[in-house]
Amino acid sequence: MNAPAGLDFASIPERIQSEVQRAIQRSIKGVEYFSTSGPSLGSTPKDVLHSRGTMNLYHYRPMSDEIYRVPVLIVMATTNRGYILDLVRGQSFIEFLLKRGYDVYMLDWSAPRPEEKSLRMEDYVLDFIPDCIRRVQADSGEQDVSLIGYCFGGVLSLLYGSIHKDGPMKNLICFTTPIDFREMKLFSNFSDRRYFDVDHLVDSVGNVPPEMILSSFEMLRPASRTVSQIQLWENIWNDEFVKSYRMFDRWATDTLPLAGEYFRTITKDLMWDNKLFNDTMSVAGRPAMLENITVPILHAVAEHDHIVPYDAAKHLIAKIGSADKDEVILKGGHVSLVAGANAVKRLWPKLDSWLGKRST
Amino acid sequence: MTDKTNDPVAMWQKMMGEMEKGFNSFANQAMSSPEFSQALNRAGGVAAGAQKQLGDLMEKYLVAMNLPSRDQVTGLAERLQSIEGQLSEMKSILTQMAASSGISQSLDAAPRPPRTKRPPSENGGQT
Repeated sequence: MNAPAGLDFASIPERIQSEVQRAIQRSIKGVEYFSTSGPSLGSTPKDVLHSRGTMNLYHYRPMSDEIYRVPVLIVMATTNRGYILDLVRGQSFIEFLLKRGYDVYMLDWSAPRPEEKSLRMEDYVLDFIPDCIRRVQADSGEQDVSLIGYCFGGVLSLLYGSIHKDGPMKNLICFTTPIDFREMKLFSNFSDRRYFDVDHLVDSVGNVPPEMILSSFEMLRPASRTVSQIQLWENIWNDEFVKSYRMFDRWATDTLPLAGEYFRTITKDLMWDNKLFNDTMSVAGRPAMLENITVPILHAVAEHDHIVPYDAAKHLIAKIGSADKDEVILKGGHVSLVAGANAVKRLWPKLDSWLGKRST
Repeated sequence: MTDKTNDPVAMWQKMMGEMEKGFNSFANQAMSSPEFSQALNRAGGVAAGAQKQLGDLMEKYLVAMNLPSRDQVTGLAERLQSIEGQLSEMKSILTQMAASSGISQSLDAAPRPPRTKRPPSENGGQT
């Protein structure tokens, strides 16, 4: 009798032995998993330049003998912690930038306190970002500052740039930044104005709880959490897999609450009225039109982004007023675009080659 | 090497991948309907309302127990935040004064590298 095509009987004992070894390793490593904590994240040396309520400004210590003239300020998304960009040595975007000679600052967020429920969009765009930029200028001694905004940090950077058209923003880089909120179809449906009473929610709870934010992200791919836990069990013998799983799982579940008034504006102005895309957005009465941005801009988007689908991000470059503008579409998802093994090979070198020549 | 088409582990992994995709796609379709949004927000509205009522009840209980109310604790937090802000401003002013009087290097242990870096293409490929 012939073996079925592709089935090698000779390899079966070897395969059984390998599976038995893995089963033993799973039991040992499974115990280890629950008795140890994950890798230490966000440990690139830094100084806290300023903290005010939900706002934190970090300066990372340079790792190069010579740095570019223009400092870089990273504006993190308000829903998540900034350590996604500083996971562990060798997988840290911050470390990469420092080693390539950039002077790096980060505007990161803490959970807004209950009394910060009244923070509005203008507090973020007209106070926190300008305050951080002034502090970066004072600390670095340079007037020009490049901004990098991740996800909603990109939206805040766009709003800032469109209002402060005379500078001091020198370059703008957006990662996976939505501008057409109709195209975030599931979020759009969850917040359908016929059924979602945002006023009732904000008036009832103050700050929007992180569990609600996390649930809305997880609902986009409801099976993925269970499948990833099955994958973890299958691969628990593999230290590298477990390390990576723990890093991303910890970050993904470490969601921040959102200030109530700020969430109200996001829902009404962006989700319902799509004002940024329709050129009708304003912040505290100041028009925020994307065409006002004339500095060099790079927009990096992910091919398989389930949180910010390409359709929600693709019009950004067309609507920007700059002559020097680029969009780059890379393989990966919303997070793997900026962090992890693939980002090391794809996004980071691309960003370095774009930003380096604009940072002198 | 075993062919992946007959490898039970690879087949299992492929099946899991397909199931995940299929379930996510099915759920996404179901969640796109107005009925889903209505049901979701009805449940969310009830939960938010219940949370508010519970909060009000707790507030009354704390007053009865002669314990500080949430508003009073929040007031204290705001005053602390204001003090933090003022301290931070003072620190910032001191740093600026130190910098302008030329003693910044002694406060800042590590001297900053010069801002003279050029992109690799201008240096003949050197980083």
